[in-house]
Amino acid sequence: MFRKVLIANRGEIALRVISACKEMGIRTVAVYSEADRNSLHVKFADEAICIGPPRSAESYLNVPAVISAAEIADVDAIHPGYGLLSENANFAEVCRASNIKFIGPPPEVTRMMGEKSTARQTMKKAKVPILPGSDGVIESEGEALEWARSVGYPVILKAVAGGGGRGMRICRNAEELPALFNQASTEAANAFGNGDLYMEKFIERPRHIEFQVLADEHGNVMSLGERECSIQRRHQKLIEEAPSLMVTPKLREELGKTIKKSLENIGYWNAGTIEFLMDEDGKIYFIEMNTRIQVEHCVTEMVTGIDLVKAQLRIAAGEKLSAIVPEPVVIRGHAIECRINAEHPETFTPSAGKITAFNVPGGNGVRVDTAQYAEGVVPPYYDSMIAKLICHGKDREEAMNKMQRALSQFVVQGIHTTIPMHQKIFADEEFRLGKFDTKFMERFFERQKNSKG
Amino acid sequence: MMDGNKLNELRELVEFLKANEIAEFDMEQADLKVRIKFAGEPAATGGIDLAHLSRLMASVPASAPAAAAPPVAASALAAPIEEALHEVKSPIVGTFYESPSPGAQSFVKIGDQVEVGQVLCIVEAMKLMNEIESDVAGEVVKRIAVSGQPVEYGQPLFAIRAR
Repeated sequence: MFRKVLIANRGEIALRVISACKEMGIRTVAVYSEADRNSLHVKFADEAICIGPPRSAESYLNVPAVISAAEIADVDAIHPGYGLLSENANFAEVCRASNIKFIGPPPEVTRMMGEKSTARQTMKKAKVPILPGSDGVIESEGEALEWARSVGYPVILKAVAGGGGRGMRICRNAEELPALFNQASTEAANAFGNGDLYMEKFIERPRHIEFQVLADEHGNVMSLGERECSIQRRHQKLIEEAPSLMVTPKLREELGKTIKKSLENIGYWNAGTIEFLMDEDGKIYFIEMNTRIQVEHCVTEMVTGIDLVKAQLRIAAGEKLSAIVPEPVVIRGHAIECRINAEHPETFTPSAGKITAFNVPGGNGVRVDTAQYAEGVVPPYYDSMIAKLICHGKDREEAMNKMQRALSQFVVQGIHTTIPMHQKIFADEEFRLGKFDTKFMERFFERQKNSKG
Repeated sequence: MMDGNKLNELRELVEFLKANEIAEFDMEQADLKVRIKFAGEPAATGGIDLAHLSRLMASVPASAPAAAAPPVAASALAAPIEEALHEVKSPIVGTFYESPSPGAQSFVKIGDQVEVGQVLCIVEAMKLMNEIESDVAGEVVKRIAVSGQPVEYGQPLFAIRAR
């Protein structure tokens, strides 16, 4: 097992990894920007090194600074967390060249699965159902029209190099396609330096369903079941749950087997998540893979009982999956996670500043992952998520009731948070009935507006 | 039980003492108290750099910046800096070296006048030797960092009395 690990991240995930390491007797090294000097991940790590000024580009994303810190602290491995450098294949390569174990897949695999059209091709070859679309980059408007004809409208144009909604255009008929194609390409070129586009069938009301996987470095892969993350605002997840109301045991098992084969083929290592969209008829299509641990890994931990971060460390240290995960994986009960952001609950304006009161709910089946505390500061430079509230119950009904109770006891003062928004969602009929898709929040806001005026 | 960092510093201290033929050596920590007795005449190849020794002594209690102590420990340990002094801080994480290569003369000595842009030291990061330049003109009053020791971003390296 590793003697010492550097955590190349901040906030709650840095603390999560540090905690797992402590439980395993691994020494921890935190890195931090000047803005995070008083952060919990700094306070609770065994060693801490300041690597730069507040801006991420000059600190957390600064590869030479992170590697230099790893070298002077003489660490065995680096855990990249999520976001930041976690899916940066170059960073993984530098780690390898510096003889530091990167806790994640090999750089070649990260690169392959990070590139959306290559990932689609790889999954298609492995017989994973993929969303019908272009086989690669679309070179011209003419090609776009051809593809749209074969795939069937509506279609969506997406940037090969992008994400977060940019370089994306939905097209519902042939007349609007040429103009939208050019708009998307220009936007992508401006945002990512690469205007290449691919096309996919567009599902009007999809549900977002993703599968958690673990793979050891000996060729063994396992699926740990799914999560549903349909409650999103502007492509950012707000609430996640496991299991999904829409996934039958049969689908879970079949898809699990297909996913397992596909990842064995490409030589995947460590934790990962395969994202799918489910259409109105219950058919499921691969959209992309995230080659890292995710924010919402907690809901899978609650229903399977498996510590995913410890699994990552053990896999990277060379252990076999059979020693880490029981077979078969049993899903017990239902877990839901609310992401608590430092934002105004109605306008979503970011709310940085000093927290004056911070009461965290507890109790049976209630988990809070956070790196904030009373008198703590939320800096303006980073992601606005300050806590994750996860509730586990014997079924969805119990999990929702616990969540309502826990939300009512989660007191944060000094800054705005999205706690009141979550309280409203958990009181919403459609949400409680499990009737949602990725357009849920739009309809929810409409309902809220109408009930007011 | 001494932790790894303190043990390394102690080793460096012992090497220093041997190299300078110090026969007896005491030390207390808080508020510092040193007693040294030399074995004989100082070696012809060079006298003891007492300034370096005092900096070494001053650094030992704080241990390396990578230690568990609050991050500002490394700068807090040194004797309080006068108001008028400007601290040159490290712009990168790495290992501090006062001279261009082992055994060579330091880039600057205490008392030297330096100009803006003049190289004061090297901070090595990922096998690259980065020359660190002074951001003020003035007299070098104190070398705060210890040669061969790690430094973090923003850590004070030198104190300069600006002109």
